[in-house]
Amino acid sequence: MTAKAKPDPLIHPITRLSICGLLAAGADWVEFAALRDAAGISDSVLSKQSRVLEDAGYLEVRKGAIGRRPRTWFRLTAEGRQALEGHLAWLAQLEEAVSASTQDAQQVGPIPGDRDQARRVLPPLLGSS
Amino acid sequence: MPDVARDPAALELLRVQRSRLADRMRPRWWYLTGVAITYALVFGFPFASRFLGVSIWLFFAAALLLAVPLQWGWTRATGIWIGFRNLSYPGPGRLARYAVVVVCLGAVAVEHFLIDRNLIVVAIAVAALAVAAEVALQQALLRGIRQELQGGGDAA
Repeated sequence: MTAKAKPDPLIHPITRLSICGLLAAGADWVEFAALRDAAGISDSVLSKQSRVLEDAGYLEVRKGAIGRRPRTWFRLTAEGRQALEGHLAWLAQLEEAVSASTQDAQQVGPIPGDRDQARRVLPPLLGSS
Repeated sequence: MPDVARDPAALELLRVQRSRLADRMRPRWWYLTGVAITYALVFGFPFASRFLGVSIWLFFAAALLLAVPLQWGWTRATGIWIGFRNLSYPGPGRLARYAVVVVCLGAVAVEHFLIDRNLIVVAIAVAALAVAAEVALQQALLRGIRQELQGGGDAA
């Protein structure tokens, strides 16, 4: 991945990350039900979050109908893809940093009752969100 | 809504969701049957042109009339629309795309050669093998698409 690692507050919530991540996986267009089932979310959540992404210009929506059944298709725009790539790169860095800190903590030994150890170990990454 | 920054498992969740999406591209019996009938038309052309004098365009139109609704039905059933991918498109199914073209052209040429020498039974066997090969290659193409969907494409 060549995208610059950069957190995107719009893609930050996990539902929107799922929607964008699924749309960027290689398909040109993904239908509403397929996206809903793959993401494991409800119709209303997908409608709401997709509208946020559409308003931000990250998502393209095409509405049609087969017989009397309405069908909605989604596609990630170039802008949305760029934002997602940057956000995923940032998340991958975060994941690496967390696993590195976990290894360090295992070597040193756990501090009893210290739940915020990871947040203290990773202030630059976590603090930037 | 959970905060992703405090949840490094978000990437793992995305991987699971992509696998779920990729699972929709598993071939169904009706799709593979349709593909087999389409290629049977393609590989039946050398026989029809020799013995019935049928024009290539009639076969082309018949194959197209079958392939277009088949692809439409497949897109509708899976809810995933994958655009046309030419031979230069990189990805896991690239080799299979080349093989589809090679088998298609090779089988039609061999059939013509065998029919000209009155080896009709052998030509029929070649056509049947070519249909089976194309169905297997279609499965390989779908496998490639599934791998791409699981891997996350360019955004992986």
